[in-house]
Amino acid sequence: MSSSFSRRALLKGAALGGLATTGALSGCSSGPPPGTATWSMWSSSPEEQRVWTDFGHYVERRMHIRSASTLTPSDGYPTKLDLRLVSGTASMVTALNGWLIPTYASRGAHRPLDDLIAADPDFDLDDFYPAIRSISSFAGRTYAIGFDVAPTVLYYNKTLLERNGVDPPSPTEPMSWDTFRQLAIELSKPKDQYGFTCSPTIDDLVSWIYCAGGNVVDGDRDTSPLDAPEAMQAIHYVVDLFTKDRATPPIDNLVTQNASGAALANFLQGNVAFMQNGPWQVLNVRKASFEWDIVPFPAGPAGSKPRVSGSSFAIPSGVKGDDLDLAWRLLKTLTSTGALDIYARAGRNNPARLSAASAFEPPPANLGIVQRILKGEVAGGHPFDVTTNWNRVRLLLAQDLPRAFLGQKSAGDAIDGVMPRLNALMRQHRDAVRQAT
Amino acid sequence: MAAPTRTAATAAPRRTPRGPLRGRRSRRHGSETLAAWLFLLPSLAGFLVFTAGPVIAAGVISLLDWNLFSPPRFIGLDNFARLGPDDTFWSALGNTAYFTFVSVPLTLLVSLGLALLLNQGLRRMAVFRSLLLLPYATITVAVAFVWVWLYIPHDGLINAVLGGFGIDGPAWLISDDWAMPALIVMSVWKSFGFGMVIFLAGLQAIPQQLYEAAKVDGASPWRTFREVTLPLLSPSVFFTVVTSIIGSFQVFDQALVMTDGGPGTSTTTLVMYIYRTGFENYEQGYAAAQSMVLFAFIVVITAAQFLFQRRLVHYDL
Repeated sequence: MSSSFSRRALLKGAALGGLATTGALSGCSSGPPPGTATWSMWSSSPEEQRVWTDFGHYVERRMHIRSASTLTPSDGYPTKLDLRLVSGTASMVTALNGWLIPTYASRGAHRPLDDLIAADPDFDLDDFYPAIRSISSFAGRTYAIGFDVAPTVLYYNKTLLERNGVDPPSPTEPMSWDTFRQLAIELSKPKDQYGFTCSPTIDDLVSWIYCAGGNVVDGDRDTSPLDAPEAMQAIHYVVDLFTKDRATPPIDNLVTQNASGAALANFLQGNVAFMQNGPWQVLNVRKASFEWDIVPFPAGPAGSKPRVSGSSFAIPSGVKGDDLDLAWRLLKTLTSTGALDIYARAGRNNPARLSAASAFEPPPANLGIVQRILKGEVAGGHPFDVTTNWNRVRLLLAQDLPRAFLGQKSAGDAIDGVMPRLNALMRQHRDAVRQAT
Repeated sequence: MAAPTRTAATAAPRRTPRGPLRGRRSRRHGSETLAAWLFLLPSLAGFLVFTAGPVIAAGVISLLDWNLFSPPRFIGLDNFARLGPDDTFWSALGNTAYFTFVSVPLTLLVSLGLALLLNQGLRRMAVFRSLLLLPYATITVAVAFVWVWLYIPHDGLINAVLGGFGIDGPAWLISDDWAMPALIVMSVWKSFGFGMVIFLAGLQAIPQQLYEAAKVDGASPWRTFREVTLPLLSPSVFFTVVTSIIGSFQVFDQALVMTDGGPGTSTTTLVMYIYRTGFENYEQGYAAAQSMVLFAFIVVITAAQFLFQRRLVHYDL
């Protein structure tokens, strides 16, 4: 009897204890103490994590307060940021990839920074490259401050070119499209060697479109100019490299997030002469077992105007009062010359400030062209023009464009097929911009 | 004279406990009920918070226009009305139905076949069972990456093997015609282990006397299977069919990793479309409306299965 009572009492106690623990845990707050400098960033490798740890130490040294960063793998970063913004648990400063800034700004998720910039005589926006200032703005207002910015460049396999008796391209004069195509064809011996690699996505195609004088987004109309002759010339040119010229490795995979990685993997195999990509891949390309370098993007009818991409820090709209003051100081620290020097020395990408250290140590020997392109001294670049619903534009094009690259559809049919839906998205974008202004 | 013995009948009549005894039992019953509720409470709370709550919330959100940040706007049934002309939604629903109604029967057949083989009293059956269960126990995303590699058109193992037989294999995951079958094959391989374990347990619960009686009556192996094994296995089949269909309607991760829904929308599943609508296109209301439709489909199909259960599932012969 007494043993039965004890067992029951024990079980009851366990149940009550479990409930109490659950309640206690759910009631606990695990957030950092007030006054902590909180910021979020994507981080997908130990190397990246080391850079952000160094940023944290830098913040603590400069601001004399505790720094707490939330690091998330890049693929899941936007979703996690959304959920944290909605639940009111977002950091006071959040990193944003440039192509997402209009999306967040138009939804009111982040605040414009113009008032803070105007009230701060110490902050010099002119020290940032014009391209990143453009990328970080929406509807005429600054929503973010950049930490990196870079144009797409052309990587080339020096060893392969030498082996085939081809002179290296000029680091200052971009090749013409005709020259590039001839070289790509000449260097292609399918199954063993290919002239060029890129991903069959709008992110890579857009550089060719800008070089032809076209665009996906038109600021003045409700319709996309993707079917205009300039854009179509670029689309045909690249699709032909895949389907007619057979100058590219065969496409094995259509998964968008892997597409850029697949192009990099092709190049690293050592049997591809040219790859379009950004200087942010320099760290990975250094693993190559051959000599390589970078040159400006080939010049189309409108010149060499590849996509210029960048990333920035922004302040969520929910940050107010004393936190806002702290957030602005934190944002300034994270984008200061000192912090960007850490970023550049680690070789992550080209820093967004003119005053920050020049990017990385060689290779590539021609890395200086990145800053010269951004300054307009060599070739040129075109800030990545995106819409407030770029996610949807990107998805729509990711569904139908690869069929053209695979030869399952002609480029013209693929574009004709997406235009009605693309134009609907453009109208939605125009409405969002109108409402935001 | 012997003293009369007291039999049960002549013993003191049973009395319902009164007074202190009844009170003690009642208190004991009450405290046991309380303990039961305390034990149930975390699970019940979990169900209410993480299952019933989200379903109700999704129902409410499906009536709103909400991009997560702007204040939500009540729009009635507009989100449901949008579903009609949305070709991608119907294509995703069709893809999901195609996946379900091909992959579930195939999985059941493979599971049942393997369970019947393992039930033949093989030596080291536990080893085989464990090996065959491994795909099911492996993380889907990891398995999907391996299958992407196997399906590579030019250098992949599958096409290399087919090439050995003089067959020019298709471009599997980048082909309109072959992408979905390729996903189905991978899914069957990934999930047959679950059904196999359930069927094996069901087979081992069938009394041997029934097989001996069938043998004595001269029944052929096929007739024994049809008249004894299959009816008595029907509860296991029913359970596996219900859970597999529900799981297949929710297919997401393998399609996302292996094809990203392409080429075109040929492998875009409903859950993938719901995820994209909600978390990539920021249309929470429309995504919730799609979720409610998916929920309704699953409820209707599951209810239909339970209706058929009365006719097709046997718990004894």
